[in-house]
Amino acid sequence: MTAFAYETYYLGLRTARRFLRVPANWTSIIFFPLIQLLVFSQLYQDIVQLPSFGQSGDYLDYLAPGQVAFAAFLAVAWSAYGLLVEYRSGYVDKLLAAPIGRFSILAGEMVPIFFQAAAMAAVVLVVSLVLGAPLETGVGGFLLILGLAGAFGIAFAGASFIPALLTKSEQATNAFSLLLFPIMFMSTAFVPEALMPDWMQAVNDWNPISYVIEAMRDLMTTGYDWTAIGNALLSLAILGVILQCATLWAFRRLAR
Amino acid sequence: MTDERLLIEVRDLVKVYDGDTRALDGISFGVASGEVFGFLGPNGAGKTTTIRILATLLRATEGTARVAGFDVATDPHEVRKRLGVAMQTPTLDAFSTGRETLELAGRLHRMSAAEVRRRTDELLELMGLGSVAGKLTGTYSGGMKRRLDLASALVHRPQVLILDEPTEGLDPQSRTALWEELERISAAGTTMLLTTHYMEEADRLSSRLAIVDNGQIVVEGEPAELKRCVGGDSVLLQLESPDGDGHLAEVRRLLADIVDADAVTHHPAGVALAVPNAGAAIPELLRRLDGNGLRITGLQMSEPNLDDVFMKYTGRRIREEAADQPIILGF
Repeated sequence: MTAFAYETYYLGLRTARRFLRVPANWTSIIFFPLIQLLVFSQLYQDIVQLPSFGQSGDYLDYLAPGQVAFAAFLAVAWSAYGLLVEYRSGYVDKLLAAPIGRFSILAGEMVPIFFQAAAMAAVVLVVSLVLGAPLETGVGGFLLILGLAGAFGIAFAGASFIPALLTKSEQATNAFSLLLFPIMFMSTAFVPEALMPDWMQAVNDWNPISYVIEAMRDLMTTGYDWTAIGNALLSLAILGVILQCATLWAFRRLAR
Repeated sequence: MTDERLLIEVRDLVKVYDGDTRALDGISFGVASGEVFGFLGPNGAGKTTTIRILATLLRATEGTARVAGFDVATDPHEVRKRLGVAMQTPTLDAFSTGRETLELAGRLHRMSAAEVRRRTDELLELMGLGSVAGKLTGTYSGGMKRRLDLASALVHRPQVLILDEPTEGLDPQSRTALWEELERISAAGTTMLLTTHYMEEADRLSSRLAIVDNGQIVVEGEPAELKRCVGGDSVLLQLESPDGDGHLAEVRRLLADIVDADAVTHHPAGVALAVPNAGAAIPELLRRLDGNGLRITGLQMSEPNLDDVFMKYTGRRIREEAADQPIILGF
Protein backbone atom coordinates (compact mmCIF):
# COMPACT_ATOMS: atom_id res chain seq x y z
CA MET A 1 0.00 0.00 0.00
CA THR A 2 2.78 2.44 0.87
CA ALA A 3 4.58 1.35 -2.30
CA PHE A 4 1.41 2.14 -4.25
CA ALA A 5 1.13 5.60 -2.65
CA TYR A 6 4.84 6.29 -3.19
CA GLU A 7 4.74 5.34 -6.85
CA THR A 8 1.45 7.16 -7.46
CA TYR A 9 2.92 10.31 -5.91
CA TYR A 10 5.98 10.44 -8.17
CA LEU A 11 4.11 9.35 -11.31
CA GLY A 12 1.31 11.79 -10.49
CA LEU A 13 3.72 14.70 -10.20
CA ARG A 14 4.93 13.92 -13.69
CA THR A 15 1.37 13.71 -15.04
CA ALA A 16 0.52 17.05 -13.47
CA ARG A 17 3.60 18.64 -15.04
CA ARG A 18 2.58 17.26 -18.41
CA PHE A 19 -0.81 18.97 -18.01
CA LEU A 20 0.49 22.28 -16.70
CA ARG A 21 3.36 22.70 -19.15
CA VAL A 22 1.04 22.98 -22.13
CA PRO A 23 -0.79 26.23 -21.32
CA ALA A 24 -3.41 25.50 -24.00
CA ASN A 25 -4.59 22.62 -21.77
CA TRP A 26 -5.74 24.83 -18.94
CA THR A 27 -6.46 28.06 -20.77
CA SER A 28 -9.03 26.40 -23.02
CA ILE A 29 -10.61 24.51 -20.12
CA ILE A 30 -10.96 27.79 -18.22
CA PHE A 31 -12.05 30.01 -21.10
CA PHE A 32 -14.72 27.76 -22.60
CA PRO A 33 -17.05 27.83 -19.57
CA LEU A 34 -16.25 31.49 -18.92
CA ILE A 35 -17.26 32.38 -22.47
CA GLN A 36 -20.48 30.39 -22.02
CA LEU A 37 -21.07 32.20 -18.75
CA LEU A 38 -20.63 35.64 -20.33
CA VAL A 39 -22.48 34.92 -23.56
CA PHE A 40 -25.46 32.94 -22.26
CA SER A 41 -26.00 35.09 -19.14
CA GLN A 42 -26.65 38.00 -21.52
CA LEU A 43 -28.18 36.19 -24.47
CA TYR A 44 -30.79 34.41 -22.33
CA GLN A 45 -31.05 36.89 -19.45
CA ASP A 46 -34.84 37.04 -19.81
CA ILE A 47 -35.22 33.27 -19.38
CA VAL A 48 -35.66 33.82 -15.62
CA GLN A 49 -38.99 35.51 -16.32
CA LEU A 50 -40.53 32.27 -17.59
CA PRO A 51 -43.11 31.21 -14.99
CA SER A 52 -41.78 27.66 -14.74
CA PHE A 53 -38.12 28.77 -14.29
CA GLY A 54 -38.98 28.86 -10.64
CA GLN A 55 -35.97 30.80 -9.36
CA SER A 56 -35.49 34.47 -8.79
CA GLY A 57 -32.42 36.58 -9.40
CA ASP A 58 -30.02 36.96 -12.28
CA TYR A 59 -29.65 34.22 -14.89
CA LEU A 60 -25.88 34.55 -14.24
CA ASP A 61 -26.48 33.35 -10.68
CA TYR A 62 -28.22 30.27 -12.04
CA LEU A 63 -25.63 29.68 -14.78
CA ALA A 64 -22.44 30.08 -12.69
CA PRO A 65 -22.50 26.74 -10.81
CA GLY A 66 -23.24 24.96 -14.10
CA GLN A 67 -20.12 26.49 -15.64
CA VAL A 68 -18.01 25.59 -12.61
CA ALA A 69 -19.08 22.00 -13.22
CA PHE A 70 -18.46 22.47 -16.93
CA ALA A 71 -14.82 23.33 -16.18
CA ALA A 72 -14.47 20.08 -14.22
CA PHE A 73 -16.10 18.21 -17.08
CA LEU A 74 -13.67 19.68 -19.62
CA ALA A 75 -10.73 18.80 -17.38
CA VAL A 76 -11.59 15.12 -17.76
CA ALA A 77 -13.16 14.87 -21.20
CA TRP A 78 -9.73 14.39 -22.88
CA SER A 79 -7.84 13.19 -19.84
CA ALA A 80 -6.70 9.85 -21.33
CA TYR A 81 -5.04 11.53 -24.28
CA GLY A 82 -1.68 11.86 -22.54
CA LEU A 83 -1.57 8.19 -21.58
CA LEU A 84 -2.46 7.20 -25.11
CA VAL A 85 0.30 9.31 -26.67
CA GLU A 86 2.76 7.77 -24.23
CA TYR A 87 1.51 4.29 -24.96
CA ARG A 88 2.30 4.92 -28.63
CA SER A 89 5.68 6.49 -27.98
CA GLY A 90 6.72 3.51 -25.86
CA TYR A 91 6.91 5.50 -22.63
CA VAL A 92 4.27 3.27 -21.03
CA ASP A 93 6.50 0.28 -21.85
CA LYS A 94 9.31 1.99 -20.03
CA LEU A 95 7.09 2.36 -16.96
CA LEU A 96 5.95 -1.26 -17.29
CA ALA A 97 9.60 -2.36 -17.32
CA ALA A 98 10.27 -0.41 -14.10
CA PRO A 99 9.96 -2.17 -10.73
CA ILE A 100 6.59 -0.62 -9.89
CA GLY A 101 3.01 -1.85 -9.61
CA ARG A 102 0.96 -1.92 -12.81
CA PHE A 103 -1.88 0.00 -11.20
CA SER A 104 0.38 2.73 -9.89
CA ILE A 105 0.74 3.78 -13.52
CA LEU A 106 -3.03 4.19 -13.84
CA ALA A 107 -3.33 5.86 -10.44
CA GLY A 108 -0.56 8.26 -11.47
CA GLU A 109 -2.87 9.36 -14.28
CA MET A 110 -6.07 9.43 -12.20
CA VAL A 111 -5.09 11.20 -8.99
CA PRO A 112 -3.89 14.41 -10.69
CA ILE A 113 -7.28 14.58 -12.43
CA PHE A 114 -8.84 15.32 -9.04
CA PHE A 115 -6.59 18.35 -8.63
CA GLN A 116 -6.87 19.44 -12.24
CA ALA A 117 -10.68 19.37 -12.15
CA ALA A 118 -10.76 21.15 -8.79
CA ALA A 119 -8.27 23.81 -9.92
CA MET A 120 -10.09 24.49 -13.18
CA ALA A 121 -13.39 24.75 -11.29
CA ALA A 122 -11.77 27.10 -8.76
CA VAL A 123 -10.72 29.58 -11.45
CA VAL A 124 -14.18 29.61 -13.03
CA LEU A 125 -15.78 29.96 -9.59
CA VAL A 126 -13.57 32.93 -8.66
CA VAL A 127 -14.28 34.71 -11.95
CA SER A 128 -18.03 34.03 -11.49
CA LEU A 129 -17.85 35.69 -8.07
CA VAL A 130 -16.07 38.67 -9.57
CA LEU A 131 -18.87 38.90 -12.16
CA GLY A 132 -21.41 39.04 -9.36
CA ALA A 133 -22.45 35.45 -8.65
CA PRO A 134 -23.25 34.79 -4.97
CA LEU A 135 -21.51 32.36 -2.60
CA GLU A 136 -23.77 32.08 0.42
CA THR A 137 -21.67 29.47 2.22
CA GLY A 138 -18.34 31.33 2.06
CA VAL A 139 -14.98 29.57 2.34
CA GLY A 140 -16.47 26.28 3.53
CA GLY A 141 -18.78 26.15 0.53
CA PHE A 142 -15.93 27.16 -1.77
CA LEU A 143 -13.86 24.16 -0.61
CA LEU A 144 -16.86 21.83 -0.82
CA ILE A 145 -17.52 22.92 -4.40
CA LEU A 146 -13.89 22.23 -5.33
CA GLY A 147 -14.09 18.84 -3.62
CA LEU A 148 -17.20 17.99 -5.62
CA ALA A 149 -15.50 19.12 -8.83
CA GLY A 150 -12.44 16.97 -8.10
CA ALA A 151 -14.54 13.96 -7.14
CA PHE A 152 -16.51 14.36 -10.35
CA GLY A 153 -13.18 14.39 -12.22
CA ILE A 154 -12.12 11.02 -10.80
CA ALA A 155 -15.59 9.47 -11.11
CA PHE A 156 -16.01 10.57 -14.72
CA ALA A 157 -12.42 9.95 -15.95
CA GLY A 158 -13.38 6.52 -17.25
CA ALA A 159 -15.46 8.19 -19.95
CA SER A 160 -12.18 9.20 -21.55
CA PHE A 161 -9.97 6.29 -20.43
CA ILE A 162 -12.23 3.40 -21.47
CA PRO A 163 -12.47 4.36 -25.18
CA ALA A 164 -8.78 5.33 -25.14
CA LEU A 165 -7.62 2.02 -23.70
CA LEU A 166 -9.94 -0.04 -25.88
CA THR A 167 -9.28 1.69 -29.22
CA LYS A 168 -5.66 2.75 -28.56
CA SER A 169 -6.36 5.51 -31.06
CA GLU A 170 -5.95 9.20 -30.32
CA GLN A 171 -8.26 10.15 -33.17
CA ALA A 172 -11.03 7.81 -32.06
CA THR A 173 -10.73 8.99 -28.46
CA ASN A 174 -10.76 12.64 -29.48
CA ALA A 175 -13.78 12.19 -31.67
CA PHE A 176 -15.58 10.24 -28.96
CA SER A 177 -15.03 13.02 -26.42
CA LEU A 178 -17.40 15.21 -28.44
CA LEU A 179 -20.18 12.76 -27.70
CA LEU A 180 -19.76 13.47 -24.00
CA PHE A 181 -20.92 17.05 -24.43
CA PRO A 182 -24.66 16.26 -24.58
CA ILE A 183 -24.31 15.02 -21.00
CA MET A 184 -23.58 18.61 -20.03
CA PHE A 185 -26.15 20.20 -22.31
CA MET A 186 -28.93 17.90 -21.09
CA SER A 187 -28.10 18.56 -17.43
CA THR A 188 -29.42 21.36 -15.25
CA ALA A 189 -26.33 23.46 -16.02
CA PHE A 190 -28.32 25.78 -18.30
CA VAL A 191 -32.02 25.41 -17.43
CA PRO A 192 -33.95 23.96 -14.49
CA GLU A 193 -35.53 20.53 -14.89
CA ALA A 194 -39.02 22.14 -14.96
CA LEU A 195 -38.24 23.70 -18.35
CA MET A 196 -37.24 20.36 -19.90
CA PRO A 197 -39.65 18.20 -21.91
CA ASP A 198 -40.81 15.07 -20.10
CA TRP A 199 -38.42 12.66 -21.76
CA MET A 200 -35.45 14.91 -20.97
CA GLN A 201 -36.55 15.16 -17.37
CA ALA A 202 -36.54 11.38 -17.21
CA VAL A 203 -33.01 11.30 -18.63
CA ASN A 204 -31.91 14.05 -16.30
CA ASP A 205 -32.91 12.02 -13.25
CA TRP A 206 -30.11 9.63 -14.24
CA ASN A 207 -27.55 12.30 -15.06
CA PRO A 208 -24.96 12.36 -12.24
CA ILE A 209 -23.61 15.74 -13.31
CA SER A 210 -27.01 17.33 -12.58
CA TYR A 211 -26.81 16.16 -8.97
CA VAL A 212 -23.34 17.69 -8.69
CA ILE A 213 -24.55 20.95 -10.24
CA GLU A 214 -27.58 21.12 -7.93
CA ALA A 215 -25.39 20.66 -4.86
CA MET A 216 -23.00 23.35 -6.10
CA ARG A 217 -25.90 25.71 -6.88
CA ASP A 218 -27.34 25.34 -3.41
CA LEU A 219 -23.94 26.04 -1.88
CA MET A 220 -23.70 29.19 -3.98
CA THR A 221 -27.22 30.58 -3.85
CA THR A 222 -28.95 29.28 -0.70
CA GLY A 223 -26.74 27.48 1.83
CA TYR A 224 -25.69 24.03 2.97
CA ASP A 225 -28.22 21.54 1.64
CA TRP A 226 -26.92 18.23 2.95
CA THR A 227 -29.53 16.23 1.05
CA ALA A 228 -28.33 17.72 -2.24
CA ILE A 229 -24.68 17.15 -1.28
CA GLY A 230 -25.49 13.58 -0.24
CA ASN A 231 -27.27 12.93 -3.54
CA ALA A 232 -24.29 14.33 -5.43
CA LEU A 233 -21.81 12.14 -3.57
CA LEU A 234 -23.99 9.06 -4.00
CA SER A 235 -24.37 9.59 -7.73
CA LEU A 236 -20.61 10.18 -8.04
CA ALA A 237 -19.91 7.02 -6.07
CA ILE A 238 -22.13 4.93 -8.37
CA LEU A 239 -20.69 6.53 -11.52
CA GLY A 240 -17.15 6.24 -10.19
CA VAL A 241 -17.38 2.58 -9.25
CA ILE A 242 -18.83 1.59 -12.63
CA LEU A 243 -16.43 3.63 -14.77
CA GLN A 244 -13.32 2.93 -12.69
CA CYS A 245 -13.98 -0.84 -12.72
CA ALA A 246 -14.32 -0.74 -16.50
CA THR A 247 -11.17 1.37 -16.74
CA LEU A 248 -9.23 -1.12 -14.62
CA TRP A 249 -10.42 -3.95 -16.82
CA ALA A 250 -9.40 -2.06 -19.99
CA PHE A 251 -6.03 -1.13 -18.47
CA ARG A 252 -5.30 -4.75 -17.58
CA ARG A 253 -5.78 -5.66 -21.21
CA LEU A 254 -3.29 -2.99 -22.20
CA ALA A 255 -0.70 -3.74 -19.52
CA ARG A 256 -1.23 -7.55 -19.60
CA MET B 1 19.86 -26.33 -14.90
CA THR B 2 21.02 -22.78 -14.39
CA ASP B 3 24.52 -21.46 -14.61
CA GLU B 4 25.15 -18.90 -11.88
CA ARG B 5 27.79 -17.00 -13.79
CA LEU B 6 25.33 -16.22 -16.55
CA LEU B 7 23.52 -12.92 -16.09
CA ILE B 8 21.32 -13.58 -19.09
CA GLU B 9 20.27 -17.12 -19.80
CA VAL B 10 17.85 -17.85 -22.62
CA ARG B 11 16.67 -21.36 -23.42
CA ASP B 12 14.64 -22.53 -26.40
CA LEU B 13 12.69 -19.31 -26.60
CA VAL B 14 9.73 -19.44 -28.98
CA LYS B 15 7.33 -16.59 -29.67
CA VAL B 16 4.35 -17.01 -31.94
CA TYR B 17 2.28 -13.94 -32.73
CA ASP B 18 -1.37 -14.22 -33.71
CA GLY B 19 -1.17 -17.97 -33.98
CA ASP B 20 1.02 -18.19 -37.05
CA THR B 21 3.86 -15.65 -37.15
CA ARG B 22 6.88 -17.37 -35.61
CA ALA B 23 8.98 -14.42 -34.50
CA LEU B 24 11.29 -16.58 -32.39
CA ASP B 25 11.93 -20.16 -33.35
CA GLY B 26 13.92 -21.68 -30.52
CA ILE B 27 16.60 -19.22 -29.44
CA SER B 28 19.16 -20.12 -26.78
CA PHE B 29 22.15 -18.16 -25.56
CA GLY B 30 23.91 -17.07 -22.41
CA VAL B 31 25.69 -13.87 -21.45
CA ALA B 32 28.31 -14.05 -18.71
CA SER B 33 28.99 -11.32 -16.19
CA GLY B 34 30.89 -8.39 -17.72
CA GLU B 35 30.35 -9.51 -21.29
CA VAL B 36 28.97 -7.41 -24.12
CA PHE B 37 26.84 -9.70 -26.21
CA GLY B 38 25.83 -8.52 -29.65
CA PHE B 39 22.63 -9.61 -31.33
CA LEU B 40 23.15 -9.02 -35.02
CA GLY B 41 20.52 -9.44 -37.66
CA PRO B 42 18.32 -7.74 -40.20
CA ASN B 43 15.07 -6.01 -39.23
CA GLY B 44 12.42 -8.57 -38.40
CA ALA B 45 14.93 -11.25 -37.37
CA GLY B 46 13.51 -11.46 -33.83
CA LYS B 47 15.92 -9.19 -31.98
CA THR B 48 13.33 -6.83 -30.53
CA THR B 49 11.01 -9.71 -29.61
CA THR B 50 13.84 -11.31 -27.61
CA ILE B 51 14.55 -8.01 -25.87
CA ARG B 52 10.90 -7.42 -25.01
CA ILE B 53 10.71 -10.86 -23.43
CA LEU B 54 13.87 -10.19 -21.40
CA ALA B 55 12.52 -6.79 -20.34
CA THR B 56 9.36 -8.53 -18.98
CA LEU B 57 7.18 -6.71 -21.52
CA LEU B 58 6.21 -9.78 -23.50
CA ARG B 59 5.54 -13.38 -22.58
CA ALA B 60 7.30 -16.13 -24.47
CA THR B 61 5.14 -18.81 -26.08
CA GLU B 62 7.67 -21.47 -25.05
CA GLY B 63 11.04 -21.61 -23.39
CA THR B 64 12.59 -19.78 -20.44
CA ALA B 65 14.62 -16.67 -19.93
CA ARG B 66 16.48 -15.61 -16.81
CA VAL B 67 18.04 -12.24 -16.07
CA ALA B 68 20.42 -11.80 -13.13
CA GLY B 69 19.30 -15.20 -11.87
CA PHE B 70 15.54 -14.51 -11.95
CA ASP B 71 13.00 -15.96 -14.33
CA VAL B 72 11.36 -13.20 -16.36
CA ALA B 73 8.00 -14.99 -16.35
CA THR B 74 7.75 -15.92 -12.67
CA ASP B 75 9.87 -13.18 -11.01
CA PRO B 76 9.42 -10.13 -13.23
CA HIS B 77 9.69 -7.66 -10.35
CA GLU B 78 13.14 -8.94 -9.32
CA VAL B 79 14.25 -8.78 -12.96
CA ARG B 80 13.02 -5.20 -13.34
CA LYS B 81 15.02 -4.08 -10.30
CA ARG B 82 18.27 -5.31 -11.83
CA LEU B 83 17.75 -4.43 -15.45
CA GLY B 84 18.22 -1.24 -17.45
CA VAL B 85 16.58 -1.08 -20.86
CA ALA B 86 16.86 1.45 -23.67
CA MET B 87 14.51 0.79 -26.54
CA GLN B 88 15.01 1.34 -30.24
CA THR B 89 13.52 4.82 -30.21
CA PRO B 90 14.22 6.90 -27.11
CA THR B 91 11.13 6.86 -24.93
CA LEU B 92 11.10 10.12 -23.04
CA ASP B 93 8.42 12.30 -21.54
CA ALA B 94 8.62 15.39 -23.76
CA PHE B 95 7.30 17.60 -20.96
CA SER B 96 9.90 16.65 -18.37
CA THR B 97 13.37 18.14 -18.24
CA GLY B 98 16.46 15.97 -18.52
CA ARG B 99 17.02 16.24 -14.79
CA GLU B 100 13.40 15.38 -13.94
CA THR B 101 13.60 12.35 -16.23
CA LEU B 102 16.60 10.92 -14.38
CA GLU B 103 15.21 11.83 -10.97
CA LEU B 104 11.93 10.02 -11.66
CA ALA B 105 13.82 6.93 -12.86
CA GLY B 106 15.86 6.95 -9.66
CA ARG B 107 12.79 7.46 -7.49
CA LEU B 108 10.94 4.58 -9.13
CA HIS B 109 13.96 2.43 -8.28
CA ARG B 110 13.61 3.50 -4.64
CA MET B 111 16.77 5.55 -4.44
CA SER B 112 16.94 8.19 -1.68
CA ALA B 113 16.70 11.89 -2.49
CA ALA B 114 20.40 12.50 -1.87
CA GLU B 115 21.40 9.44 -3.88
CA VAL B 116 19.14 10.46 -6.76
CA ARG B 117 20.62 13.95 -6.83
CA ARG B 118 24.20 12.69 -6.79
CA ARG B 119 23.60 10.07 -9.46
CA THR B 120 21.64 12.50 -11.67
CA ASP B 121 24.46 15.08 -11.57
CA GLU B 122 26.99 12.38 -12.31
CA LEU B 123 25.10 11.00 -15.32
CA LEU B 124 24.25 14.42 -16.77
CA GLU B 125 27.93 15.27 -16.59
CA LEU B 126 29.01 11.93 -18.05
CA MET B 127 26.60 12.16 -20.96
CA GLY B 128 27.44 15.79 -21.70
CA LEU B 129 23.92 16.95 -20.89
CA GLY B 130 24.78 19.28 -18.02
CA SER B 131 24.00 22.44 -19.99
CA VAL B 132 20.54 21.24 -21.09
CA ALA B 133 19.56 19.50 -17.84
CA GLY B 134 16.86 22.10 -17.16
CA LYS B 135 15.35 22.04 -20.65
CA LEU B 136 12.36 19.94 -21.68
CA THR B 137 13.41 16.72 -23.46
CA GLY B 138 11.03 17.61 -26.28
CA THR B 139 13.53 20.26 -27.33
CA TYR B 140 16.51 17.85 -27.42
CA SER B 141 18.29 16.72 -30.59
CA GLY B 142 18.25 13.04 -31.58
CA GLY B 143 21.69 12.43 -30.10
CA MET B 144 20.80 14.15 -26.84
CA LYS B 145 17.62 12.11 -26.51
CA ARG B 146 19.62 8.90 -27.01
CA ARG B 147 22.12 9.83 -24.36
CA LEU B 148 19.41 10.84 -21.88
CA ASP B 149 17.50 7.64 -22.55
CA LEU B 150 20.67 5.66 -21.95
CA ALA B 151 21.34 7.64 -18.78
CA SER B 152 17.82 6.94 -17.50
CA ALA B 153 18.49 3.21 -17.99
CA LEU B 154 21.67 3.55 -15.94
CA VAL B 155 20.42 5.62 -12.98
CA HIS B 156 19.95 2.62 -10.69
CA ARG B 157 23.28 1.02 -11.68
CA PRO B 158 21.68 -2.03 -13.29
CA GLN B 159 23.51 -5.34 -13.28
CA VAL B 160 22.39 -5.92 -16.82
CA LEU B 161 21.90 -3.33 -19.54
CA ILE B 162 19.83 -4.14 -22.60
CA LEU B 163 20.02 -1.84 -25.60
CA ASP B 164 17.86 -2.21 -28.67
CA GLU B 165 19.54 -0.64 -31.71
CA PRO B 166 21.32 1.95 -29.55
CA THR B 167 22.59 4.10 -32.43
CA GLU B 168 19.75 3.68 -34.93
CA GLY B 169 19.02 6.97 -36.67
CA LEU B 170 22.06 8.82 -35.33
CA ASP B 171 24.49 10.77 -37.46
CA PRO B 172 28.00 9.23 -37.71
CA GLN B 173 29.48 11.67 -35.21
CA SER B 174 26.89 11.00 -32.50
CA ARG B 175 27.20 7.30 -33.21
CA THR B 176 30.93 7.29 -32.56
CA ALA B 177 30.42 9.34 -29.40
CA LEU B 178 27.81 6.88 -28.14
CA TRP B 179 30.08 3.93 -28.91
CA GLU B 180 32.77 5.47 -26.77
CA GLU B 181 30.19 5.94 -24.02
CA LEU B 182 29.10 2.31 -24.22
CA GLU B 183 32.73 1.17 -24.14
CA ARG B 184 33.20 3.14 -20.93
CA ILE B 185 30.08 1.62 -19.39
CA SER B 186 31.24 -1.84 -20.37
CA ALA B 187 34.73 -1.20 -18.98
CA ALA B 188 33.06 -0.31 -15.67
CA GLY B 189 31.79 -3.89 -15.53
CA THR B 190 28.17 -3.67 -16.71
CA THR B 191 26.92 -6.72 -18.56
CA MET B 192 25.33 -5.73 -21.83
CA LEU B 193 23.12 -7.19 -24.48
CA LEU B 194 22.81 -5.02 -27.55
CA THR B 195 21.02 -5.56 -30.80
CA THR B 196 22.12 -3.96 -34.00
CA HIS B 197 21.97 -4.34 -37.71
CA TYR B 198 25.18 -2.39 -38.15
CA MET B 199 28.13 -4.72 -38.73
CA GLU B 200 30.63 -2.13 -37.58
CA GLU B 201 28.76 -1.62 -34.33
CA ALA B 202 28.62 -5.31 -33.50
CA ASP B 203 32.29 -5.71 -34.40
CA ARG B 204 33.44 -2.81 -32.32
CA LEU B 205 31.36 -3.21 -29.18
CA SER B 206 30.65 -6.87 -28.63
CA SER B 207 32.98 -9.40 -27.07
CA ARG B 208 30.72 -12.15 -28.36
CA LEU B 209 27.86 -12.10 -30.81
CA ALA B 210 25.08 -14.12 -32.30
CA ILE B 211 23.80 -13.69 -35.82
CA VAL B 212 20.02 -14.05 -35.88
CA ASP B 213 17.87 -14.59 -38.88
CA ASN B 214 14.23 -15.65 -39.11
CA GLY B 215 13.92 -16.14 -35.37
CA GLN B 216 16.93 -18.43 -35.05
CA ILE B 217 20.56 -18.02 -34.09
CA VAL B 218 22.53 -19.09 -37.15
CA VAL B 219 25.96 -18.75 -35.60
CA GLU B 220 27.49 -17.54 -32.35
CA GLY B 221 31.04 -16.67 -31.30
CA GLU B 222 33.67 -13.99 -30.87
CA PRO B 223 33.77 -11.54 -33.78
CA ALA B 224 37.40 -12.43 -34.64
CA GLU B 225 36.68 -16.14 -34.48
CA LEU B 226 33.62 -15.78 -36.72
CA LYS B 227 35.62 -13.84 -39.24
CA ARG B 228 38.30 -16.53 -39.24
CA CYS B 229 35.64 -19.11 -40.08
CA VAL B 230 34.88 -17.30 -43.31
CA GLY B 231 38.40 -18.02 -44.51
CA GLY B 232 41.54 -15.96 -44.45
CA ASP B 233 42.37 -12.50 -45.61
CA SER B 234 42.55 -11.61 -49.25
CA VAL B 235 45.39 -9.99 -51.12
CA LEU B 236 44.89 -8.33 -54.48
CA LEU B 237 47.92 -7.95 -56.73
CA GLN B 238 47.19 -5.14 -59.17
CA LEU B 239 49.04 -5.70 -62.42
CA GLU B 240 50.04 -3.29 -65.16
CA SER B 241 48.33 -5.36 -67.83
CA PRO B 242 45.86 -7.64 -66.12
CA ASP B 243 45.14 -9.79 -69.14
CA GLY B 244 44.32 -13.08 -67.45
CA ASP B 245 45.52 -16.66 -67.61
CA GLY B 246 49.18 -16.08 -68.33
CA HIS B 247 49.70 -14.14 -65.13
CA LEU B 248 47.53 -16.48 -63.16
CA ALA B 249 49.66 -19.50 -64.12
CA GLU B 250 52.84 -17.55 -63.42
CA VAL B 251 51.70 -16.53 -59.93
CA ARG B 252 50.59 -20.07 -59.16
CA ARG B 253 53.97 -21.42 -60.24
CA LEU B 254 55.96 -18.92 -58.21
CA LEU B 255 53.94 -19.46 -55.06
CA ALA B 256 53.33 -23.19 -55.52
CA ASP B 257 54.83 -24.24 -52.16
CA ILE B 258 53.15 -21.59 -50.02
CA VAL B 259 49.69 -20.93 -51.55
CA ASP B 260 47.24 -23.51 -52.96
CA ALA B 261 46.46 -23.16 -56.63
CA ASP B 262 42.75 -22.85 -55.74
CA ALA B 263 43.47 -19.78 -53.62
CA VAL B 264 44.84 -17.88 -56.60
CA THR B 265 42.04 -16.48 -58.72
CA HIS B 266 41.58 -14.06 -61.52
CA HIS B 267 40.47 -10.52 -60.73
CA PRO B 268 39.68 -7.70 -63.18
CA ALA B 269 42.55 -5.67 -61.77
CA GLY B 270 45.03 -8.52 -61.60
CA VAL B 271 45.25 -11.59 -59.41
CA ALA B 272 43.54 -12.26 -56.10
CA LEU B 273 45.04 -14.46 -53.39
CA ALA B 274 43.35 -15.95 -50.34
CA VAL B 275 45.82 -16.33 -47.48
CA PRO B 276 45.33 -17.11 -43.79
CA ASN B 277 47.15 -13.98 -42.61
CA ALA B 278 47.87 -11.29 -45.15
CA GLY B 279 50.11 -9.17 -42.95
CA ALA B 280 52.55 -12.02 -42.34
CA ALA B 281 52.45 -13.36 -45.89
CA ILE B 282 53.10 -10.20 -47.85
CA PRO B 283 56.91 -9.84 -47.42
CA GLU B 284 57.43 -13.39 -48.68
CA LEU B 285 54.96 -12.89 -51.54
CA LEU B 286 56.73 -9.78 -52.69
CA ARG B 287 60.18 -11.39 -52.53
CA ARG B 288 59.03 -14.20 -54.79
CA LEU B 289 56.97 -12.17 -57.22
CA ASP B 290 59.26 -9.17 -57.57
CA GLY B 291 61.53 -9.10 -60.61
CA ASN B 292 59.70 -11.96 -62.31
CA GLY B 293 58.24 -9.85 -65.03
CA LEU B 294 54.83 -9.52 -63.39
CA ARG B 295 55.01 -5.70 -63.08
CA ILE B 296 52.97 -5.27 -59.90
CA THR B 297 51.53 -1.76 -59.72
CA GLY B 298 49.69 -2.00 -56.45
CA LEU B 299 48.76 -4.20 -53.56
CA GLN B 300 45.52 -4.35 -51.57
CA MET B 301 44.79 -6.50 -48.59
CA SER B 302 41.51 -6.89 -46.79
CA GLU B 303 40.29 -8.82 -43.80
CA PRO B 304 36.90 -10.53 -43.87
CA ASN B 305 34.19 -8.53 -42.12
CA LEU B 306 31.02 -9.55 -40.35
CA ASP B 307 29.10 -8.91 -43.51
CA ASP B 308 31.02 -11.81 -45.04
CA VAL B 309 30.14 -13.89 -41.99
CA PHE B 310 26.49 -13.00 -42.38
CA MET B 311 26.68 -13.81 -46.07
CA LYS B 312 28.25 -17.17 -45.39
CA TYR B 313 25.60 -18.27 -42.89
CA THR B 314 22.45 -16.78 -44.38
CA GLY B 315 23.34 -16.55 -48.06
CA ARG B 316 22.30 -12.90 -48.03
CA ARG B 317 23.85 -9.51 -47.42
CA ILE B 318 22.57 -7.72 -44.36
CA ARG B 319 20.74 -4.66 -45.53
CA GLU B 320 19.28 -1.68 -43.86
CA GLU B 321 16.00 -2.21 -45.60
CA ALA B 322 12.96 -0.99 -43.78
CA ALA B 323 11.17 -4.09 -42.59
CA ASP B 324 9.54 -2.16 -39.77
CA GLN B 325 6.19 -3.12 -38.40
CA PRO B 326 3.30 -1.43 -40.19
CA ILE B 327 1.75 1.39 -38.22
CA ILE B 328 -1.88 0.88 -37.30
CA LEU B 329 -3.78 4.04 -38.10
CA GLY B 330 -7.27 5.12 -37.18
CA PHE B 331 -9.97 2.92 -35.84
